[in-house]
Amino acid sequence: MDALVILIPLMPFIAATLIGMGHLFGAISGEASESATADIANWAISMSCLLALTLLGSDLLDKNAGSYSIGQWLNSDTLNVQMNFITTGFSVRLAALFSVLLVIILRFSVNYMHREAGYHRFFFILSLFASAMLLLVLSGNAVGTFIGWEIAGFCSYLLIAYAYDRPVAATNATRVFVTNRIGDAGFILGIGLSYAWIDSINWNDLNATAAQLPSGQATAISTCFAIAAFTKSAQFPFIPWLARTMEGPTPSSAVFYGAVMVHAGVYLLILLEPVFEQAPFTMALVAIIGAITAVYAVIVGLTQTDAKSSLIFATSGQLGLMFLECGLGYWQLVSWHLCAHAVVRGYQFLTAPSLMHNVQGNPIKPVPPAIARLRWAYVVSSQRFWLDQFNDWALVRPIRRLAHDLGHFDDHIVDGIMGAPAPAIRAISSLAQLEEKNIGARLDNEFDSFAHGSGLAGKLTEWTAAILHWFEDRFVLRGIGKGTISYGRKLGHIANKFEQLVLRPRYLVLFVFITLLVAF
Amino acid sequence: MQESPFFKTPVLREQITAALNHLDHVLPGQAPILDFVHHNTLHGFQHLPFEEALAEFEALTGTCGYLPEAQNRAFYHQGRIDDRDLSAAFAHDPKLLAEQIVCTLKDKTITRQDLYRIAMLFDLQAVNISQLNWQIEEMDALSAVQADVPEQVRSQLGAGQGNAIRQLWENILNKLELEQAAVHPENMLDLSVEQAEDWLAQVSLVDNRASAHQQMLQQAETALDELLSELGDSITLRGFIMALSGTDILDSVRPQLIRLCASGLDEGMAAWQLPERSQLGLYAAWRATAQYDASPFLHDLPDWQQIMSELPEDAVDTIILQLTHLEIPQAKWEGYLRRLALEIPGWSGMINWRQHRPKYRTENDAAPTLADYLAIRLTLDRLWLNQICRDTWNVEAKLSSLQSYFRKNLSQFIVRRQLHQKDLPEYLTQLAESLTNRTDSEHHHRAGWQQLADLIETWQLSPMTKNNDGRSVCNSGWRLFRLCQHLGLTATHIELLHKTDLQQMLAVLDEFNVTERSKVWLYAYEHHYREAFFQALCSNHNRGRWAKRNERPDSQIIFCMDDREESFRRHLEELNPAIETLGAAGFFGVAMNYKGLDDRNVTPLCPVVVTPAHEVQELARTGSEKNLLSHNRGRTLNQRIANMLHQGLRRNLLLSHPVIDAIAPVTFAGLLGKSLLPKPQRNLVSGIAQLFSPKVETQLLFTAKDNSTAAEPDHPKLGFTDNEQADRVAGFLRNTGLTYGFSELVVLMGHGSISQNNPHLAAYDCGACSGRHGGPNARVFAAMANRPEIRELLAERGITIPSDTWFIGAEHNTCNEEISWYDISDVPAERLAGLKKLQREMRHAQLMSAHERCRRLASAPRNPTPDEALAHIEERATDFSQARPELGHATNASAVVGRRSLTQGAFFDRRVFLISYDPTQDPDGKVLENVLLAVGPVGAGINLEYYFSTVNNERFGCGTKVPHNVTGFFGVMEGASSDLRTGLPQQMIEIHEPMRLQILVEAKTAVLEQIYARQESLRELIAGGWVHLSAKDPDSGEIFIFERGSGFMPWQTEAEELPVYDKSPDCYRDQTLPVPPALIKQPDLLGAV
Repeated sequence: MDALVILIPLMPFIAATLIGMGHLFGAISGEASESATADIANWAISMSCLLALTLLGSDLLDKNAGSYSIGQWLNSDTLNVQMNFITTGFSVRLAALFSVLLVIILRFSVNYMHREAGYHRFFFILSLFASAMLLLVLSGNAVGTFIGWEIAGFCSYLLIAYAYDRPVAATNATRVFVTNRIGDAGFILGIGLSYAWIDSINWNDLNATAAQLPSGQATAISTCFAIAAFTKSAQFPFIPWLARTMEGPTPSSAVFYGAVMVHAGVYLLILLEPVFEQAPFTMALVAIIGAITAVYAVIVGLTQTDAKSSLIFATSGQLGLMFLECGLGYWQLVSWHLCAHAVVRGYQFLTAPSLMHNVQGNPIKPVPPAIARLRWAYVVSSQRFWLDQFNDWALVRPIRRLAHDLGHFDDHIVDGIMGAPAPAIRAISSLAQLEEKNIGARLDNEFDSFAHGSGLAGKLTEWTAAILHWFEDRFVLRGIGKGTISYGRKLGHIANKFEQLVLRPRYLVLFVFITLLVAF
Repeated sequence: MQESPFFKTPVLREQITAALNHLDHVLPGQAPILDFVHHNTLHGFQHLPFEEALAEFEALTGTCGYLPEAQNRAFYHQGRIDDRDLSAAFAHDPKLLAEQIVCTLKDKTITRQDLYRIAMLFDLQAVNISQLNWQIEEMDALSAVQADVPEQVRSQLGAGQGNAIRQLWENILNKLELEQAAVHPENMLDLSVEQAEDWLAQVSLVDNRASAHQQMLQQAETALDELLSELGDSITLRGFIMALSGTDILDSVRPQLIRLCASGLDEGMAAWQLPERSQLGLYAAWRATAQYDASPFLHDLPDWQQIMSELPEDAVDTIILQLTHLEIPQAKWEGYLRRLALEIPGWSGMINWRQHRPKYRTENDAAPTLADYLAIRLTLDRLWLNQICRDTWNVEAKLSSLQSYFRKNLSQFIVRRQLHQKDLPEYLTQLAESLTNRTDSEHHHRAGWQQLADLIETWQLSPMTKNNDGRSVCNSGWRLFRLCQHLGLTATHIELLHKTDLQQMLAVLDEFNVTERSKVWLYAYEHHYREAFFQALCSNHNRGRWAKRNERPDSQIIFCMDDREESFRRHLEELNPAIETLGAAGFFGVAMNYKGLDDRNVTPLCPVVVTPAHEVQELARTGSEKNLLSHNRGRTLNQRIANMLHQGLRRNLLLSHPVIDAIAPVTFAGLLGKSLLPKPQRNLVSGIAQLFSPKVETQLLFTAKDNSTAAEPDHPKLGFTDNEQADRVAGFLRNTGLTYGFSELVVLMGHGSISQNNPHLAAYDCGACSGRHGGPNARVFAAMANRPEIRELLAERGITIPSDTWFIGAEHNTCNEEISWYDISDVPAERLAGLKKLQREMRHAQLMSAHERCRRLASAPRNPTPDEALAHIEERATDFSQARPELGHATNASAVVGRRSLTQGAFFDRRVFLISYDPTQDPDGKVLENVLLAVGPVGAGINLEYYFSTVNNERFGCGTKVPHNVTGFFGVMEGASSDLRTGLPQQMIEIHEPMRLQILVEAKTAVLEQIYARQESLRELIAGGWVHLSAKDPDSGEIFIFERGSGFMPWQTEAEELPVYDKSPDCYRDQTLPVPPALIKQPDLLGAV
């Protein structure tokens, strides 16, 4: 039975390939092909689901070996990456649950997305996501999980920007994508450290040797993976990205942020339970972050006035609780909490459009008046603790300005030194130039030049000649006059400006970073 | 706070208040979504004629109110519009001078109509230089006839000779004295002196003294003044800054503003709303909280502390203050505020709606006003505008500083303006972008801006851009080239023509612009439907039953006028010809506030324009008190559970953890069931709910005990007095003409719709009941008409209802075809057999109605059996993934006011509102006047909402449902911070055919003319062209069309044979598109005249 595990992520991947290729080459397009697309996706994911259930059944009957390897993917010196899968335990249970939820949401989408301009694109992404998610859950090594992790994140990016013609959707998608890259850094570092210290990136090896790991190493590895989990499951301080995801179609909101993907971080913690158990520091960190997130989400959730945002903060709150439980070591509770939450929240997201009809005449319990009156508290909640704005202020804008400065540097200094192609000699590019030529005047006659040159060498020669000429002209021929003073002033101005620029915080921070980099 | 006497000026305050009140005309008038009722999307423009209203709206918002031309052309190719319709449309508008000759050749004359026809059917747009190059170089436009030229014209062109087309092109250019320039944008940086001199010569022609550079600066100054003068008319300061910096402050302002408004308007989504919003109002509540907001600091907004501390207490004062600060000229204030409101129309409209309906009952008693909203908006605008202006130009965001800055930096103005208009070629865009990025060293780059402005100017003067007069190869040359091919003109023809002839042709094309073409398309489209519709009515003359009730019908069923009931009635009558069906506005003349057994508040059930003065309550019947107790107990439990699931799981963090853990297995099963077997799952859930909360036998409390006090809309009275009841019943029966020939059973069939996961649910319900279910109205009417006291009063008023006649109220669910019957236990025993038979017949109609609906639903089985069809329809209504539970009023196109005999026997494809009215009982038209006053606005409202949402779903409608997100229980947004979307979603209008309602009344034209003269509201609709009116003479059967401006004209056309089918299903078998009217074989039976 173990061998079935390969097919589980493979089937949706084949479906995605078929739909993608079909759409690319025009075999699948327009309303007429909707049923073909839906059938391919539906069939593949249903098959995956049946296979996952079979695997689960045989696991429950204790018929599974525990892992299955189809061979070597990468071998270099001591680095040996197997293509292997987990076939027992929580991973299989979760794969079965996720595949059922995926089937339900896919079936939902068939009618819901009918006649949408992006119908085929949507099913392509959804199939790809299903494949990625199942790979993430079932892969026996960190690299496989990471591949699933990345593809799932990429699919989420594509679906937030489903309506890419709306600038808000596109901006939010990009923001989410960029935020998640922080988690990737953690994940990759975690993989690197585990390879460095235990010579393996198989989850089983990692867990098996966890007990022998010195606590410092365990803390380092587990912290790296915890950071990856924090971003993927939108824990503090990465929460704001989750609220930005609500631009996509209803079923994609349900599958990504209600039912499936957002739980990936919690899964990662559960998977690495033995490693975390060796690292009390990380456990404490996870618990604290989870608690902060839960409190944050519940406070912010109180003032959310649209269905999807309200649900997403409720989701964040429960995810926070899951992290808290992990941190406190209630692993069994977390695994049930994860599964239960995936089901219930998925349901809530799918039925979000009917929320107001479900609660007509059945109002929500208001916040106690004593708290509700606190204006400052309300502002804190409705502005979501300014987390987004703060990130903007502290990270996004300085970096953007830095990029801007670099662009400037590139355009005006590097290009200048390298020498850009000059216009053909004697040609003109604007009518004003022609006129000037006709009158015999020249606009750029600040100082006359003997020669033209391009590129560093050319310019150097040109400048030397010009300077000599100028020197001769101004100082030798005309004597020292007013010009010298004004040149001096200009020079001072430039120097001032340079100093100002260099003293701006972004450069200071940059220098600190560079110093650190050089130091290590 | 700045204490200048200026702010105390009441005149200014009045000016602002008046301006804000005026906004009611331009903002969307949609109610909170639970109360969705169809109305004319352009209700604020209804006082204008249709075409003018559309033109005005387009001028105001840039949204065109006609179907895109491509769609019209597609209709033409489908045969939904044909050449006869086009000719009729050309002839219909005398201003078009369709027959006028444009030019004459030896073998042909070319009339305006010829040109019009080609302009309608083929794209004669100007191209740009790259497109022209593409056409010539890649598409071989000069060696082959244009691909879209029809076959018969093609032969005239002598396509065989290779050079014919090239010759044609050259001849046209020669005649027009145009030269084809072959320049590519890339060459512009290296101009040859000859080229440049040539273009310079053109410039110098204008003004000999000024140099090109100076002239350019002069032009720029004019352009700057123009842009500034647009402020308040078509742009706000945000638009001005966006045009020059490319940054839209609304991106930053919108999320803040929307978050605040949503919290201020929220009707129960959030547990915590804007503090003190009801005591203080939106603006003051915001002002009180804003001091705690750290966003301005984090966003580094200049002067925010000062701006915030200066805010006056009153919203109108704030508006005045901010407008003064931005230095908007006082004369432009009204326009500026309107433009501001229209930038986020959905939210502005919702606040405006609330402001004008202080009695709106909601969980939230805040009274938001437009002044609040705009005061906040203006303040936020000022904060953010200041930031951009400071960062980019180092000036304050006010008119005088911006003006003087750009006057000094005209070159920069040119570059920025051109860059952000986005029509510069790549080489210039790149230069401009890198220049605008160097914001911090403005003064040192003066030469750079000047040079680039010169480059741009040169580009503008080159033949590659469109010249203002349109006289260019790409414009006039290319258009004529295409036109001549379609006219079948060859190079020799062109040689014979004068230059003026060609110019005349172009002038005709220019005059016949896209708006004119759209009008013609719309008329032609409507004409096509109207002809078929009238043909069917003519052929059906004297075929339909129940012109007179000479025999007693088996039963009579009064439906809502709704177009969705047309098929239901048709199938029912086909099964049993002895049944008579009637139609009327679905509140059955009983306007009331209704409070159902489980309701906490009353709901008005009547058209929105009416405010009910009576209240009706549903109570448990005597004898079921015990049942009621357990019902209420169970209901409370059900509600608690629902509250826990839908509200608690969002609100309560700790409690929801155990709840989620506990209910997950049940939810999982439920979710699986919903996905795989929606109908059984639904039945199971409602079965369990009923187990806890058993059904209670109820009756209506509708008879007033108090006869003394008068009922007033402000003080509604519980129940109706006997006289009031008799008035309602008699009035309604007279309107429908059912004053004699009562059958044993008279059923009043209200309607409503049920669907899952559908924020727009109310849009599928009864429009005559304010977007609610009409069942209670039917039920109360039947109960009134069954009372012996009322029967007596009716007899006194001349309506004798036989004692064996029994009225029954019922409700038809238009989504799943279910029929609920009310008060069956009261039906006398001797009527029960008849009722059983009727219910069996209804069952057939349900099946067949489902069958007919399936043909238009893409996911329904093709050619199903009636049972399969009904099964599909029922499942559809319970399927939470169905974004199209039913198709609503889509395809509605006409309304017939008259006896059923007019329409009975013909197939109208569910496109007709059917309203019963008997002209033979109404010689002076008094009854008709009432009927038209009720159905005219309702029908037009539905039809026009569908029309506008269809022609431009993005702007008039609310786009696709897929990203919709329910907000505050009053509307939908896309994502989490978009405008509120108003109008109908794409899923409701996909198959709609956008045309204005054809109202056909069975009456003498003289009677209609009198009503028309008396009733202003009908005149507005009819004379304004918002609906079309026509009349069918009750005696002769002749049809008259009301022409706007000239009155009724006889309808003349050649009689056509309509296909005759045995049964309805034969009419639509294998068809998925609209089906033209057809006749159905009539049994020679009783009742037919």
